[in-house]
Amino acid sequence: MLNKTMLASAGALMLTMGIAHAEDKTLTISVYAFAQDEFKQIVYDPFEAKCGCKLVVETGNSVERLAKMEANKAKPVIDMAVVSMADALSAARSGLIDKIDTAKLSNFGKLYDIAKDPNGDGMSVGYTFYSTSIVYRTDKMKIESWADLLKDDIVSHIAFPNVTTNQGPPALYMLGEALGSNTPDLKGAIRAVGAKADKIVTFYVKSSQLVQLMQQEEIWAAPIGRFSWSPFTKLDLPLAWATPKEGQTGGMNVMVLTKGAKNRDLALEFMNFWLSTEIQTKLAEKLVDSPVNAEVKVSDEIANNITYGEEMAKSLKLIPSDVALDNREAWLSEWNAKVAQ
Amino acid sequence: MFHNRAEALALALPAAIFAAVVFLVPVGILLSEGFRSADSWTLSAYSDFFSLPINRTVFLRTLKLGAAVTIVAAVIGYAAAYAIICLPAASKGRMIGLVALPLMISPVARTYAWIVILGRTGIVNQALTAVGLTDAPVRILFTETAVFIGLLQLFLPLMIISLVSALENLPRDMVPAARVLGANWLQVFWKIILPLTKEGLVIGGTLVFTGSMTAYITPAILGGSKVLMLETLLYQRVTVASDFVSASVIAFILIVMSFSTNLLLKRLATARNRK
Repeated sequence: MLNKTMLASAGALMLTMGIAHAEDKTLTISVYAFAQDEFKQIVYDPFEAKCGCKLVVETGNSVERLAKMEANKAKPVIDMAVVSMADALSAARSGLIDKIDTAKLSNFGKLYDIAKDPNGDGMSVGYTFYSTSIVYRTDKMKIESWADLLKDDIVSHIAFPNVTTNQGPPALYMLGEALGSNTPDLKGAIRAVGAKADKIVTFYVKSSQLVQLMQQEEIWAAPIGRFSWSPFTKLDLPLAWATPKEGQTGGMNVMVLTKGAKNRDLALEFMNFWLSTEIQTKLAEKLVDSPVNAEVKVSDEIANNITYGEEMAKSLKLIPSDVALDNREAWLSEWNAKVAQ
Repeated sequence: MFHNRAEALALALPAAIFAAVVFLVPVGILLSEGFRSADSWTLSAYSDFFSLPINRTVFLRTLKLGAAVTIVAAVIGYAAAYAIICLPAASKGRMIGLVALPLMISPVARTYAWIVILGRTGIVNQALTAVGLTDAPVRILFTETAVFIGLLQLFLPLMIISLVSALENLPRDMVPAARVLGANWLQVFWKIILPLTKEGLVIGGTLVFTGSMTAYITPAILGGSKVLMLETLLYQRVTVASDFVSASVIAFILIVMSFSTNLLLKRLATARNRK
């Protein structure tokens, strides 16, 4: 009897140690605070079950998260992070991230070319992208060009993204393209917006605010990211997504691997899991993120609410990260001098 | 009450340590950023800040809106507070409760309500059109007027409550006595009410002015980036440019402005007193 009890105890002890060992395998990731319930259900929980490891998720805006990575540079806490393309380049320049061994990502080949190595330094892989265009009232106007936004009968009914938002620089970039003055400093576009700043209803910071402004007929048009489109479709208003002749712009978010990460292989395994057709499809179906995996197939209804398809991926005119990074401060000063003044 | 000073100090010590560790030290570190260069102490961050026209505009706008809100709140506040103290006790309590009610509602909810009210199709524009003051809707949202209205509504209760408690201490027969002796309402206010309630005005004025200058949500939502104030500029400097030095400069300016207002109002109050 005593032997049996001892055996059982030893067994229980070994089992506990086994569990403890699995718990020891911890992956720490740093992500945007957005849609965390969906991410937990679709990505985090299934990955934990698959790897037998524990996932620690840190959230916040990119400034906070990058500042934290910089502070812990000598002894990294985060294993992998998701940031914007420009922030990835900034992290690379500060020596915070490492090259990604894409040979270990079996799903890498399935990605659209635009997502494979967005900054051309081998340090990031795109996991979602979005197009930026103009939502507008079809009964009040017709938008065929980005320059239409500044027409006299339209300009006093638009909200333009502030230069400080993710949509601001891409919208200015396309406006510059339409006005024929497209330099990396965006001076032409900023000056054009500045000249009509008094007429423009507002320079928005949060796209969620636009739905209310559109509903109140405060605005009739605004450049937005495709991820904000869905709530507009629920308004009882004749709204359309413009396809301006200069094309659509947008942005991409990428995954990066921290330099000196403690759990490098696990981080790569997690990235590969996130990029898999199954996970990318589920995220698209929940309208959380647009897929960069070319094998993802979704219904027309879903496709209509996200940024989807190879043609779209090829047509997006993204601002190169080095241009964004090197000009960010200059854009802001120019904007403050010409528009916000 | 205490046997000796040491006993009183000992009792105050935990709170003092707590305040020092979680407030004074971090604030000190934050503010020192603005005075530090690579290897020495300098004021260059301040001269850089004020050398930019946009920063001067934002500084003056913040000062102007803060002052306007405080003055209008004081005028409306005195009238409202005087009306309240003249009410019977039960109604007085109810009325003070009503004045304080908006303070219990989240400023975000209150400010969003203003977006509906001040919008092109909102009640203000409907009223203006109905009485024939305007043909087309007037743009109020995202202007200084909208920020002024939002801030006034946000902080007026603080002024009214401060003035009510000050007026409560005013001897009841003071005003009728002055009236009987031939003083008009303006004289009554200037010579009797104002000198005797100045403490309340100093408290209310400081709360309203500091609140208006440091409010973030109202200017951010009702003014947007077209009406930048120091607080919204501070947020922009940190989140977009990761420029903590400018942010520290703005924070220091705000703190100095708050203290100066309090000192100035106190000085004004005592200056009148000496006369």
